[in-house]
Amino acid sequence: MKLIRGSCFLICLTALGLALGLTSASVAHAQAAAAAPAAASAAPPTADAELAAAASKAPAVADLAKGDPGGTSTGTISDVPPADSTKGVTVPDVANQVGQNKIAINFVWTLVTGFLVMFMQAGFAMVEAGLCRVKNANHTYMMNFFVYTAGLFSYWLIGFAIQMGGAAGNSNLGGLQSLTGEHTLSLFGKTWGLFGGAGFFLAGHTYDVGVMVLFLFQMVFMDTALTIVTGSCAERWKFLAFCVSSSIMGAITYPLYGNWAWGGGWLSQLGANNQLGHGYCDFAGSGVVHAVGGITALAVCLIIGPRIGKFNRDGSSNPIIGHDISAVLIGCFILAFGWFGFNPGSTLGASAAGNLRIGTIAVDTMLAGCTGTFGAILYMWIKNGKVDASMGGNGLLAGLVAITAPSGFVSPTNACIIGLVAGVLVCLSCAFIENVMKVDDPVGAISVHGTNGLWGVLSVGLFADGTSNYGGSWNGVAGSVTGLFYGDASQLAAQLVGISTLLGFVFTLSFLINLGLEIFVGHRVSIETEIAGLDLPEMGQLGYPEFVFKPEPDVLLQAEKQYAVA
Amino acid sequence: MAANKSQGSYYTLFLVGCTVLCAGIYEYSTGLGKLLLIVGAAGVVGSLFGTLGIKSLEGKTALKPSAMVMKLVGAAVALLGWVITLFGMHLTPSTGGRIALALVGIAVSLFGVVFVLPAAFNKNAVWKS
Repeated sequence: MKLIRGSCFLICLTALGLALGLTSASVAHAQAAAAAPAAASAAPPTADAELAAAASKAPAVADLAKGDPGGTSTGTISDVPPADSTKGVTVPDVANQVGQNKIAINFVWTLVTGFLVMFMQAGFAMVEAGLCRVKNANHTYMMNFFVYTAGLFSYWLIGFAIQMGGAAGNSNLGGLQSLTGEHTLSLFGKTWGLFGGAGFFLAGHTYDVGVMVLFLFQMVFMDTALTIVTGSCAERWKFLAFCVSSSIMGAITYPLYGNWAWGGGWLSQLGANNQLGHGYCDFAGSGVVHAVGGITALAVCLIIGPRIGKFNRDGSSNPIIGHDISAVLIGCFILAFGWFGFNPGSTLGASAAGNLRIGTIAVDTMLAGCTGTFGAILYMWIKNGKVDASMGGNGLLAGLVAITAPSGFVSPTNACIIGLVAGVLVCLSCAFIENVMKVDDPVGAISVHGTNGLWGVLSVGLFADGTSNYGGSWNGVAGSVTGLFYGDASQLAAQLVGISTLLGFVFTLSFLINLGLEIFVGHRVSIETEIAGLDLPEMGQLGYPEFVFKPEPDVLLQAEKQYAVA
Repeated sequence: MAANKSQGSYYTLFLVGCTVLCAGIYEYSTGLGKLLLIVGAAGVVGSLFGTLGIKSLEGKTALKPSAMVMKLVGAAVALLGWVITLFGMHLTPSTGGRIALALVGIAVSLFGVVFVLPAAFNKNAVWKS
């Protein structure tokens, strides 16, 4: 008899454990509903009796009416809804409530962090507009504003379906079982994911609460990638060309790479299919978001050419100073704040499956931004004898970009190293892109997001310390992500494949799309528009109508005169 | 000429075309889906040709025409690097070999992106004249 009672009790515990997500979480969600009724029929009378006793001890309505200043009487068994009110609260009721609480915590976590990421658009707008001349302020702000709309719409139409249409199985958000439309290719005896196919218009089976949460979170990430390009092409990008280019990027370029890395695509399968570590690992998007944005920015910048007066005949460059350093630095702070949504939010949950690592992720993010700022400021101070404020801001962002991919896998000390390298790297990269490549990037976005995005991807393969545990596996490979310095060289190989894909495929795709747009639409505004500033000709309104503009430096005035005559 | 009504009209047509095109992809298994796909594609193509028609009216830009071939060669070199990396994964099972081939692929792509393409675009750059 004791044995039977013990067995029944074990079944109850197992049902509770499944709902808590103590085992493989996707299984837990698939089985929780079925296991609970079975457990109910087999539950020992003692369990229900204990619940009944707890219910009898719960504060009565009259007690609660007196108020609960200490919070000790609020949130008891009285708040667990019974399936059958005549029986009172049973063990299955408790198990179901625990399961729903887990999902609710994860929903709220993911949504709130997504809201933080959305607010980063304001930071980008301030940074980019502040680094541009006042005659282009309205246009630059407007690009940052409208990219949210253009990107969101195209992502809703098709982008989300391509990226996450085959991403079923995420237990943090309830399984997402309606996202089972990954299109695959069989090659070398293995199956490789290419792009998703479920989630167009968020209609049909994807009209689902979990899918909505995932859509919101992924959408704001996509929009971050799109807004990187607007900074690099500022002060000369025709608004129409920007609109079309951004719509296409949100519909195709970003979602495709996003699928390969995060949506069950072939890069994430490199571990399971090719024994390359845990496959390509990009925790929060150094590659998916920032490198894709930075590399696309480079492609468009090459096509659109430098601003009038940026380069002299001998190839030397002229500094074109932005109009508002206060906007730049406040924008950087807004971005740093939003990054606490970007990285910790990428767990897609705060409950179960190792998600308590969010504390480490947040601290890693903070520290990398700190050392990134140090790296850039100290480098410029030593090199030029002055503290460069705009480069200091870029150093902060570079550190944050670089830690984005490894934030879920590295220690705080390694985060400091990654950030410091990023801070110096952004200065070197800005100089290289301007002086060697002769590419004009007004805000340094190619260096901040492109170069350091690639560094972030690489650093996962070097610094991942094997201590993270997100439900016991990553990308379908058991164990923790471990980099070269901690004993797994194959993870570095997977990361290099990701970098090669960014440079070889994403760049080429972006380049060809925008080259096509150059033929049909034309990226660049006319000489007259560029000289006058884009605010009036493109927007019909100055950003600062009551300001008296200070004349441009002589070198720029001369260049403008030459173009005007030509 | 700066931003104008035609641009707004053609962008609207582009967005409507994209929406109908995506609806066609979503409903592709049905006859209506195929029809929507064709109509949507026609809308997108029509909007692009519309912008092409007004492009010459928008004024001269600070860009000089340069050879398209070199631009395409640069893009092809970048793509070639990726192909080398992909084949490298299947060429050797050793991790060291795969890392080496991935590095070769990255170097080839970088050569295309950092040297070939900027050279193609800067050859006739307007700031040189």
